[in-house]
Amino acid sequence: MKKITVKMEVNGKDVEREIDPRMLLATFVRDELRLTGTHIGCDTTNCGACTLLLDGKAVKSCTVLAASASGKKVLTIEGISKDGTMHPVQKAFIEKHGLQCGFCTPGMIMTSYWLLGKGKKLSREEIRKYLSGNLCRCTGYQGIVDSVEYAAELMESEKAKEKARNR
Amino acid sequence: MGKGQYVDDITLPNMLYMGVVRSTYARAKLIKVSGEGAIDGNELRALRASVGEGAAAASNLDLMEPILARDMVYYVGQPVAAVFSEDRYSAEDKISGVEVEYEPLKAFNAVKAALEGEPIHPGTDSNILRETVVGNAFDDPKADVVVEDELTNERIMPNPIETRGIIADYDGKRLTIYISTQSVHSIKRGICSSLKLNPDDVRVIQADTGGGFGSKGGLYPEYVIAAYAAMKFKRPVKWIETRREHLLATNAGRGVHGKMKLFADKSGKLLALRGEITVDSGAFGGGMAEFTAPYIAMQVTGPYKIEKASITARSVMTDKPVQGPYRGAGRPEAAFMMERMMDMLADKLNMDPVKLRLFNMSDKPFKSPLGLEIDAAKPFFEKAVQELDYERLRNDKAGIGFFVLVPALAPGETARIRINSGKVDVWLGGNAHGQGHEVFVRKLIREELGIPEELVTLNKGDTDMLQSGIGSWGSRSAIAGGAAVVSAARKMKKEFEEKHGKFSTTELLNGTYDSFVFEKQEGQLNSFGANIATASIDKYGVVKVKECIAYYDLGRMLNPPMVRGQIMGGMAQGIGQTLYEELVHSDDGQLLTASISDAGVPIAENMPEFVVKVVENGSRLPHGAKGLGEAPTIGVPLALCRAIELVSGKRIRSTPVKQEYLSD
Ligand code: FES
Ligand code: FES
Repeated sequence: MKKITVKMEVNGKDVEREIDPRMLLATFVRDELRLTGTHIGCDTTNCGACTLLLDGKAVKSCTVLAASASGKKVLTIEGISKDGTMHPVQKAFIEKHGLQCGFCTPGMIMTSYWLLGKGKKLSREEIRKYLSGNLCRCTGYQGIVDSVEYAAELMESEKAKEKARNR
Repeated sequence: MGKGQYVDDITLPNMLYMGVVRSTYARAKLIKVSGEGAIDGNELRALRASVGEGAAAASNLDLMEPILARDMVYYVGQPVAAVFSEDRYSAEDKISGVEVEYEPLKAFNAVKAALEGEPIHPGTDSNILRETVVGNAFDDPKADVVVEDELTNERIMPNPIETRGIIADYDGKRLTIYISTQSVHSIKRGICSSLKLNPDDVRVIQADTGGGFGSKGGLYPEYVIAAYAAMKFKRPVKWIETRREHLLATNAGRGVHGKMKLFADKSGKLLALRGEITVDSGAFGGGMAEFTAPYIAMQVTGPYKIEKASITARSVMTDKPVQGPYRGAGRPEAAFMMERMMDMLADKLNMDPVKLRLFNMSDKPFKSPLGLEIDAAKPFFEKAVQELDYERLRNDKAGIGFFVLVPALAPGETARIRINSGKVDVWLGGNAHGQGHEVFVRKLIREELGIPEELVTLNKGDTDMLQSGIGSWGSRSAIAGGAAVVSAARKMKKEFEEKHGKFSTTELLNGTYDSFVFEKQEGQLNSFGANIATASIDKYGVVKVKECIAYYDLGRMLNPPMVRGQIMGGMAQGIGQTLYEELVHSDDGQLLTASISDAGVPIAENMPEFVVKVVENGSRLPHGAKGLGEAPTIGVPLALCRAIELVSGKRIRSTPVKQEYLSD
């Protein structure tokens, strides 16, 4: 099959590759860019393990063609920690036991990152609703909901600190 | 996070991707397979070895699953050929390029049809794979009340979010396998036995493993094909299962039918239990089914004192994939049979179900006629009724379920502790896949040897680093694995004391030590558990779980937050089995539930806030632990089925409980 060229910004860096036009974005970041934090757990867009941010929005990258992401900005789990420090969402998942086998975790974190980025206050029921496109077989979700609640707190207090610093 | 090394994250130079061509028929003559470069059953004539959880001794080699089908296919999804390519996409193309000619035959997908129909394996005389009677023979007692019914747990899929996967690499002499697994040692034994390889020539290394729930303990055809192909092509071969393949061809769990007859007098005292347990073993022997049927029968009387019991246990072959373990693996089925009968008996006697249950328990240990050994049940369950707040919740039509957890303690487990340059490395015979074994390992080594936890590393499974091992399943890791760690630590301490006299952690860490044990375990180490649940049902028959509470005896909690997390995960799976999960096949054997969502894996929105309560009545093991992992998948369906029954007024006889059955 004739290859095509795609260019995009991934985790702040410009990348360009020649690829099979059928290649999905999930496969592109995993196999071409070796960013293997984005996982693949199904073939029917149900599990959410492949969730990443495309132009700031959470998408299931197993249903997006890499070609159609050309020219856009992609953020994966590898891109959310800054200078080696974990993002508050990551910290929260560890502290509140939001993971066991860890396979669903990158997708859960990217969905939560996007969700909490909206800055809205969310009830536990709302968190559950938003997470319902991400499957976890290990935790029963309770630890994940705890983690997202706690991440919101952490982000809140970071914001407050930043404000105080800027004053 | 995002830094794991799952098997699909590993890429070796010059690697081939393997794709599997699978049968599209549930039963057919296989006339011809043609595809360039494809490996088929005429080339690779090997049988699938039975290893891992519930492995059966091959009673009849003719009934073992071939690695690749030859002459006949027996289920939709059965591997027929394998293709190899430079990348995933072209491997898919090559799959479509293989032509397979079939001559379809009538398939027997359901146990009933298989019992009535002709044998699926030519040359055999029936589809009964195995039949045994467990218990004592007796004449029906004179009873005031007899309840009799039929109960079913449909097949469901383990569905870990990471599917199965393997890389096989051959250097001309030795085969190295990287794999997502619960037991590197089972995989090694299986590959060596299927391909007749010398154990010294095979090394199996565990990749990070994204859940297993039973599906990653044993050997599968794809592993043998990948190993064979790596040796044939002298290139590394990777195979990653798609979710569809998981649903089609990975061994499904449950799939058990029971016919039960319970005799009691009018006070509610149980007089006898008679029954039949039939397991859908799928198309071949050597799977879990031969073991499961009598195993379920053995534990069916649960925490009750019943003097007479007899169960006929049989496994029946059908045109479906072989039955395998799924979290609980026989235990949930046994408890389901008994607890459903107890609720029916309570209704018939017009008695409170909890009262009936407690009335039939002893405050002394008891060995059932089926062979189940239990401690004094009554004190535990009386306490459970309080802890589960039954008096309050019964006003809200709460269902309750009591059970005995029979962990797979025997034959024991291996452990190795090595100290070198102040660093402590540990290997365990059973491989973690999300349970956080490292936490209990560090804790036990600190307790035994005084070594600070941060110096201790639990390594992933590697058959070159640990000479033998069993595996991680059957609620056994914290008990059998934990006991092996304690024993290896004590052996090391003794060695130190013999050499240097008084024990000192600092000096131990300055030295070089290596201690391996196989800590043998015999007998049963059963524990008790109870669950309660409440539910509401709307007019469409959609069930919402309101409260879901567990009360389990864990002996000793080695890692409290992880234990709670694991229990909650299991409770969600218990709800899944009760309400959503099922593998549905059409009459001609096609899989209708072909996505992970169709197969019913629960979502966050539908799960309640779980409450986990624990009691720690230490066990006889040196570190006091009891089994844990499977308790919630046993207990939750019991309680939830009863709650649904009370709210809907309809008798619940099978899981999953269908919405259409409950709607007005
Ligand atoms: S891999 Fe994308 S949703 Fe499952
Ligand atoms: S932690 Fe294992 S699937 Fe979520």
